[in-house]
Amino acid sequence: MPQLLRNSDQGWQIVDEPDAQWQSLSDWQAAGGSRGRVTVNVDSEPDQSWLSADAIAVDFPALTDGRGLSLAVLLRTRYGYTGDLVARGGVHEDVVHFLARCGFNVIELPQGRDLQTALRWVSPHTDYYQASVSNPTPHFLN
Amino acid sequence: MYQYSEFDRSFVNQRVAHYRDQTQRYLDGKLSDDEFLQLRLRNGLYIQRLAPMLRVAVPYGTLSSKQLHALASIARNYDRGYGHLSTRQNMQFNWPALEDVPDILQALADVDMHAIQTSGSCIRNVTTDQFAGAAADEQIDPRPFCELLRQWSTSHPEFEWLPRKFKIAVTGATQDRAAIGVHDIGMRIYGDDASPENALVDIYAGGGLGRTPVLGALIYQGLPIKHLLTYTEAIMRVYNRYGRRDNKYKARIKILVRALTAEGFKAKVDEEWTHLKDGVSTVPADTFQRLGEFFTPPAYTDQPDVSATLADQRLTHPAFNRWLTHNVGPHKREGYAVVTLSTKSVGVPPGDVSSEQIDAVADWAERYSFGEIRISHEQNFVLAHVAKSQLFELWQQAEAHALASHNNGLLSDMICCPGGDYCSLANAKSLPVAEAIQRRFEDYDFQFDLGDIDLNISGCMNACGHHHVGHIGILGVDKKGQEFYQISLGGHAGHSEIPPKLGQIVGPSVARAEVCDVIDKILRVYLGLRLDHESFLSCFNRVGIAPFKENIYASAA
Repeated sequence: MPQLLRNSDQGWQIVDEPDAQWQSLSDWQAAGGSRGRVTVNVDSEPDQSWLSADAIAVDFPALTDGRGLSLAVLLRTRYGYTGDLVARGGVHEDVVHFLARCGFNVIELPQGRDLQTALRWVSPHTDYYQASVSNPTPHFLN
Repeated sequence: MYQYSEFDRSFVNQRVAHYRDQTQRYLDGKLSDDEFLQLRLRNGLYIQRLAPMLRVAVPYGTLSSKQLHALASIARNYDRGYGHLSTRQNMQFNWPALEDVPDILQALADVDMHAIQTSGSCIRNVTTDQFAGAAADEQIDPRPFCELLRQWSTSHPEFEWLPRKFKIAVTGATQDRAAIGVHDIGMRIYGDDASPENALVDIYAGGGLGRTPVLGALIYQGLPIKHLLTYTEAIMRVYNRYGRRDNKYKARIKILVRALTAEGFKAKVDEEWTHLKDGVSTVPADTFQRLGEFFTPPAYTDQPDVSATLADQRLTHPAFNRWLTHNVGPHKREGYAVVTLSTKSVGVPPGDVSSEQIDAVADWAERYSFGEIRISHEQNFVLAHVAKSQLFELWQQAEAHALASHNNGLLSDMICCPGGDYCSLANAKSLPVAEAIQRRFEDYDFQFDLGDIDLNISGCMNACGHHHVGHIGILGVDKKGQEFYQISLGGHAGHSEIPPKLGQIVGPSVARAEVCDVIDKILRVYLGLRLDHESFLSCFNRVGIAPFKENIYASAA
């Protein structure tokens, strides 16, 4: 059972969802590249063709590799992706708020991490300075 | 200066609460050393050779008397009674206990300060001209723009996990005291204080010192200031996505700019910017006006002409005369002056100040400079708005607190990193070298005769002492397990229209015991060759490195 946080209309919650079947990008494309659930690496160039996927998971090799954050921002803003955007891999409780603000709506924590702590810190601040995917109005405009 | 709103205040307080929880979880064993490392760096905490080191952010080097008093308190209560002024205008504490840091951060938050992003691979403190808002040669005060960048970069969700650290410097004066040419992003702003929203900015990218020193490339000339954030965002996104992550010595933006070429890099940034330009982060005029209002001139009063009094005081107090000559500079307002309080005394590591000295400077700021202090990247304090009629009184008190070394710009006004005594990255100790040079060339008359010389010392290639842009640069190297020192000449941080220049290595490195003799030879060559009152740098540029090389290495041949 994966350890998941999911953002919904009621905000972020710990959810029980069955283990998803993920295809690598190349396998997914070979199989026709539509619907389904695809995983991509943090150094991938986003593409129009990904938009038909039901879910895109970005595999973070480490929490320090911030490329996955830019990838999420591009997918949500430049490409207008509306499906599930899942962060997984080297993520932990104290980086979930960066992931959330960059447009990930599902965060899969590795086994052994603490979902309650992650949920507690999914929003350490009541508001932020800069515009982001989750906060489209920058503070200086308020 | 900028005043925190409730928004700013609650932000830093919430940050402290988060870090307190992280510290507790680390001490409870729920976070590994590596995991906590990344979190504590982004809250300013390094673990060094002897003890943790906490780097407090002093945004664009400006702080109030109240804030400075709080730093003195922290030095007393949590440290060994002193602080250290860094080469990026921050203050560092060398001996805090790890478990005390949340309390220290709370003490900072209580005076509207923080240590957010002063370390780690993220956007660091934006630095600027230590004379901002005061210098006679200033065109526009850069600090409202620095404050905007500070806010925009604080906990930016996309750019907290960059390939490497990221440093931005901004100038608004003819003479670039912020060394924008050797920063990851350097900005030169043009305009006037009355209408900040109409300013233009030249943007340089990919400058830096360290292992592979290089000057920044001009990638946008004359950008209307409303695009400041969207264009910076474009640069950051390109760097975040394409900067190298395989090798930490090749991960700075300067490597990316070189790899893509400046034109190639600019093309990528401009392409990204087409999607951001005129978007939601375009800054409206009233935002610039609102920020500008925090940096309006202080309540100057009409000042009497004190030239006769000063002339008299100069005659009766030769030390005051020297101090006026070197440490006091012209102010844009008649009757006022800009004062540099030197932390450089023989036997004191450059930049180190006791809690008593810190409190004293805070008091003097209150009394003589509208409650405002600056920290310069030369590791000195600056009181930017002192009435000339009060200079003598200030000087007397500074003398009593060992902060009146009249050596601003002179040989003993060195930039020196903490080096091997404190820093685990160092190849060699730097502080004993600085002290040896200070003692050897202590004689003021000799220093005065030498004139302005920037002597910069770094304990390793990371160049925190800015040795590449010293007129004389000293770099600690490890030669077969021994501490050796490589000397370079002719570098400078950039002056007026002249871009910065990196120094030339003069020859093989020398043992520590020989460094003073080498410096002595260099200075004697200069004194022997100079024409009239030619500065060291001008002389070097005229005669080249050969005479220095010959003289230093002649006896070894």
